[in-house]
Amino acid sequence: MLSVKNLDFSYNQNKVLDNISFSVEEGSFISILGPNGSGKSTLVNLISKVLRGYEGKIEVGGRDIKELDSKDIAKMVAVVPQYTNPGFSFTVSEMVMMGRYPYISRFGTEGKEDFDAVSGAMEKTKILPFANRKFTELSGGEKQRVIMAQALAQDSSILLLDEPTSHLDINFQIEFMNLFLSLNKKEKKTIIGIFHDVNLAIQNSKKIMLLKEGRIFNFGSGEDIINRESIKSVFGSDVFVGRNPVTKKLYVSPVFNPGVDRGISSQTANKYLRVHIIGGGGAASPVMNLLHSSGYTVSCGVINTLDTDLDTAQMLGIPYVTEAPFSPISFGSQNKNIEFIKSSDVIILPAVEFGPGNFSNLVSVKEAISSGKKVIVIDEKNIRERDHTGGKAEKLYRRIIEDGAIVVKSINQVLRRL
Amino acid sequence: MGTGRKTIKHIIILLIILIVLIIVAASIGAAKVNLKDTSLIIASFIPGVNHFINTARLDPQDIVIISQIRLPRIFLSIFVGIALASAGVIFQGLFRNPMADPFVIGVSAGAAFGATIGLVFITGVGLLGISTTTIFALLGALVTTFLVYSISSARGKVSVTTLLLSGIALSAMLSAMTSFIMIFRGHDLAKIIFWIMGGLTAASWYKFNIITPMVVVLIIISGFYMRDLNIISLGDERAAQLGVQTDRVKKILLIMASLIAALAVSVSGIIGFVGLITPHILRLIVGPDHKILYPTSAVAGGIVLLMSDTLARTILMPREIPVGIITSIVGVPFFLYLLVKSKKQVF
Repeated sequence: MLSVKNLDFSYNQNKVLDNISFSVEEGSFISILGPNGSGKSTLVNLISKVLRGYEGKIEVGGRDIKELDSKDIAKMVAVVPQYTNPGFSFTVSEMVMMGRYPYISRFGTEGKEDFDAVSGAMEKTKILPFANRKFTELSGGEKQRVIMAQALAQDSSILLLDEPTSHLDINFQIEFMNLFLSLNKKEKKTIIGIFHDVNLAIQNSKKIMLLKEGRIFNFGSGEDIINRESIKSVFGSDVFVGRNPVTKKLYVSPVFNPGVDRGISSQTANKYLRVHIIGGGGAASPVMNLLHSSGYTVSCGVINTLDTDLDTAQMLGIPYVTEAPFSPISFGSQNKNIEFIKSSDVIILPAVEFGPGNFSNLVSVKEAISSGKKVIVIDEKNIRERDHTGGKAEKLYRRIIEDGAIVVKSINQVLRRL
Repeated sequence: MGTGRKTIKHIIILLIILIVLIIVAASIGAAKVNLKDTSLIIASFIPGVNHFINTARLDPQDIVIISQIRLPRIFLSIFVGIALASAGVIFQGLFRNPMADPFVIGVSAGAAFGATIGLVFITGVGLLGISTTTIFALLGALVTTFLVYSISSARGKVSVTTLLLSGIALSAMLSAMTSFIMIFRGHDLAKIIFWIMGGLTAASWYKFNIITPMVVVLIIISGFYMRDLNIISLGDERAAQLGVQTDRVKKILLIMASLIAALAVSVSGIIGFVGLITPHILRLIVGPDHKILYPTSAVAGGIVLLMSDTLARTILMPREIPVGIITSIVGVPFFLYLLVKSKKQVF
């Protein structure tokens, strides 16, 4: 359907696209992701022949676009831009009719086919009720529906989306994505989209293209190419890559560490320092995230399945020791945890709630400190309130501190004491 | 919907107004001819209709006054009005700017400078019976347009901003040069000022016959690009995405509109506000679709200039006022009234 070979494009001697090659089959749904300036919009403009003066070859429907005129291209490729700002206050139906430009001869007028295509496009985008209103008087979401209808009136087999919903509210983003999906499924339209929202893209498209500095960093299914490392190297930001518990699809969420005094910057962190964190009830998640994003080698245990801390460990890709849900920690798990502790340099005990089920975690920490391991206790909440064992846990906790564990009052101080 | 029918309806109404105005305008002047006689005299010149009209009863002097003095001026004013309004529509559409008028890229200053040179330095009868002033005005307008256009086009692309700026800059320079000549040729001052203020005093069938066919052809060719002009007002990039060859269409329309404006200026001097205001008024009535706006504005431009010119030659009879003064003094308050009243957002 679309094939791009060795595409190079420069703007004022700056290389914007560098040796881009890929092909897209009919009926695909592809998302192009990359930071601003990675060449996404340039690529869209080259495929739609809005920009010229490239090197390489672009074929649409098996034909080199250099041999096609603007109208021919517009019949095969329709673009949905981010914004459109008409110089005059055209009505909605006048705007949609503009999509029929490639089909109407210079000396002719609109025919029945054109009116049919326009009303069909307006029906799909649900704008028929305001066909005679002025475009300039519509809300942002309504305007974008009109632009979508304009593109649909082109009756093209390829739809190029250039961040069509990035300035819209979430309800419109969802509505548009559903429309794209249904066009892709029912009408077999090939959809190539630039999406502002990474999750919107990876959850809905069949393939993802990651663009970095004008080159294809990776092109494949989201499952194969979206992970913490690839996002980090393309966008330069730290994210979790997790899985939506309902749809089982990947999702990306940014990592924020507001107000944390890192003491040492992540660049200078000792990556070989191994830190084991005692988990439970979500108490370990913040410190897991902090240490992991600071570059330390982190592990966690023992956590029950279904515990928030387990989700965190999985998202961050941290090794962990787990136990069946709502069950006391078994000897097997405890031994595994002790092995992790033995191979770690530092043990961190966050403000976990202790009951009979996870009391053995505390026992493991006591063994660690007795064998000379460095232990940091995050004493954010009074142990008396966290003790559900009738004083047993409190007693052991105080002995751990007496034996020389470092006590900090909040996780902000952990990095400095490592 | 039904763009074609709506256009035809509007144009028929405007044409009826125009015909009535032609008869009224032809009947008034220093020698008064009644409306019935005026209609008969005009009809006697229409091929096919003239067989049914008995001219024997009519005053031969009236026939000469109307056919040789008033009608050429009436028709020339109509076509200058048509030209100015058409060029105005095109420039406003291309620049997406309500301030654009037919003279926006320096046509008027160029024509004024050319006319000044013609008036001051060249003595002679001109070419093919057209005065040197007209020829030099046309040359001045064309050379200026060409210069502005060359400055602002690079690698086949025309930058609208550069076009406007270089137009303003060149206009300023040419106006200064015109003023410079005026200072040193005090005895030609009145002639120059009168030309610049615009007027159709020197109208003749001969002038009309030379200018009109060119204007008509240019206006019709441009008319085929109105669908493109609609889309170009969404911005160049969007227009290209929809299949418009933006650079090519913009170039064609720029050249056409500049030529139309240059031809109009060369026979009439600088008549302001017709080309600026007529498209605005029509946009309030028929909407922004250039397929309707362009032909209706053209006819309306003819009406506006004919009305203004008739006022210019009759309200202070036997003195004549330059028509440019009328178009501004009468046209601007009317336009402001419409703006306030309609409260519609046209741009």
